[in-house]
Amino acid sequence: MKIDCEYKIIISPIGNIDAEIIGSVEKDITGIFGFQTILLPLIEDISFALDSGRNQHNSTSILGKLESCAPDYALKVLAITNVDLFIPILTHVYGEAQLGGKTCIVSTYRLKDFTSTMRAGISLSARMVKEAIHELGHTFNLLHCKDHSCIMHYCRTENDVDRKSDQLCRYCKILLEDDIKKLSS
Amino acid sequence: MSKARLLIVDDELIMRESLAGWLLRDGHEVKTAASGEEALDKIKETRFDILLVDIKMEGISGLEVLETVKESDPDVAVVMITAYGSIQTAIEAIKKGAYDYLLKPFDPHELGVLIEKILENQAQARENLFLREQFKETTRFESLIGQSRVMQEVFELIQNVAPVNTTVLITGETGTGKGLAAKAVHTHSPRCQGPFVVVNCGAIPENLMESELFGYQKGAFTDAKTTKKGRLEMAHGGTLFLDEIGEIGMRMQIDLLRVLEDRIFYRVGGTQPIEADFRVIAATNRNLQEAITNGIFREDLYYRLNVVSFKMPSLRERKEDIPLLADHFLHRFSQETNKQIDRINRDAMDEMMLYDWPGNVRELENAIERSVVIAKKRIIIPQDLPIFRPDAICTPSANTIEEIEKTHINRMLADNEWNISATAKVLGVDRSTLYSKIKRYNINKP
Repeated sequence: MKIDCEYKIIISPIGNIDAEIIGSVEKDITGIFGFQTILLPLIEDISFALDSGRNQHNSTSILGKLESCAPDYALKVLAITNVDLFIPILTHVYGEAQLGGKTCIVSTYRLKDFTSTMRAGISLSARMVKEAIHELGHTFNLLHCKDHSCIMHYCRTENDVDRKSDQLCRYCKILLEDDIKKLSS
Repeated sequence: MSKARLLIVDDELIMRESLAGWLLRDGHEVKTAASGEEALDKIKETRFDILLVDIKMEGISGLEVLETVKESDPDVAVVMITAYGSIQTAIEAIKKGAYDYLLKPFDPHELGVLIEKILENQAQARENLFLREQFKETTRFESLIGQSRVMQEVFELIQNVAPVNTTVLITGETGTGKGLAAKAVHTHSPRCQGPFVVVNCGAIPENLMESELFGYQKGAFTDAKTTKKGRLEMAHGGTLFLDEIGEIGMRMQIDLLRVLEDRIFYRVGGTQPIEADFRVIAATNRNLQEAITNGIFREDLYYRLNVVSFKMPSLRERKEDIPLLADHFLHRFSQETNKQIDRINRDAMDEMMLYDWPGNVRELENAIERSVVIAKKRIIIPQDLPIFRPDAICTPSANTIEEIEKTHINRMLADNEWNISATAKVLGVDRSTLYSKIKRYNINKP
């Protein structure tokens, strides 16, 4: 895919995120979306998004804040956090994205559980890469894909995350290319 | 997962937005309403597959929304959203017809599974409804059979036309297998998993055609005790086969043209536009261009239907297929009647080859069925074929096809003492077709 040097995808860690996770995510984002990445913590304090009653952070609020802090050269912003995320109607989410928008977020919190995994050698880093690409895909207008191996497939469990590949299926690849073409025009 | 139209009804903006945002990522078409009043307005404008309704709202409550929706469209799945304090009300909602309820906040997996289950059930219900209707009509679908060159050409044409989502017009005489050809187009098309819905335009009286095609809303007329889906709605995701399209009245032609142009229609007595995605295949034994000239068929509808067309050959044009077809029917009726009939003897086959079969394959099928019933031995002989009396054999060189058909119908009517049902059965046509031919050929009862 052609890399447009004007725009960057910002990876914005919130809190202390494992360097291995950040490194893997950076590498795969460039591979799949074709844009260069910049590591840039945009926000540090996310207490504004904490719901004390639920003891969880509202991911939609964090996305709003990230959008307001993003520099002009940021094509997209991916935040990575360790806190438990929710949206008001749901008990929890692995991550959230603005569909066709600028920002998305993904959390390690629910992906750290390996008790039910059916595969050996699965790492948190591998799961995070898949969910980060998945959420970024939504910002490029990609919807959930029915192909179980596609990275845009909606995962109900950690096992589903482990089962899907770290690649887009051929249809989602074309849809992504279409969206990127629209951006350049 | 298939895509659905959803309406979220909740007076809390944050709940509406978070749920809508989540469901949009599945590719669903999502609308929101901030109150029961707004929801009822939106329901009048659009038909939704699923409603997610908060129970506690100011003004019209979730339960009232449920009751109103279920009264006008029982097929809409309504899922109630509730907080811990109001589970009792949610259970009451289930009794009133709600599909299920979700406790706020709900697990994303639970929501996904529920939506998937609802959509599967709705697709299954549509299919079942169609199958029940189809069973009522006792429509019989057999594969097209033929080794003749003309039939091989038809098979090739069907293979080429089927994958393209275009309207098809099939012409040909009665009994040539236009319905089977239409079914074959459907079976080889990407819509093959969807329903194949048949409308016999010649068999449905004009005054019932509108409600049959478009369905009706409860209370639309005296007997409309419940809301009923029409054939167009049943065909959603599949193929609509308009058989005997040439028999359709002028008023219905106008309605049909409008539907074919935008695929949007209203149930009789309904105000809500309904969208349905279906492919149209039409068939007729009439010369539609002649019907246009005579002012009984609309030219614009003809061109809308005649995007791709092909003609089913008469049995006269493919006599080499008669032994193959006769064997096929013999085998089938032997099994159905539990009679051991092995074959058709040479004399009987020779006579069948000489005959012109104005009722085409359907007439041949009926002749074999009768012969199997009548046969006393394990071989069919000419005497088992009651239609083969010397005076029944036509001499096509001396007459036009219409004249042969008129003479044959006249003779069969006389043989059956003008009993329309019995004559139609012998000729292998339905009663409405026989009536229209009697009218067309101006045949009068002596």
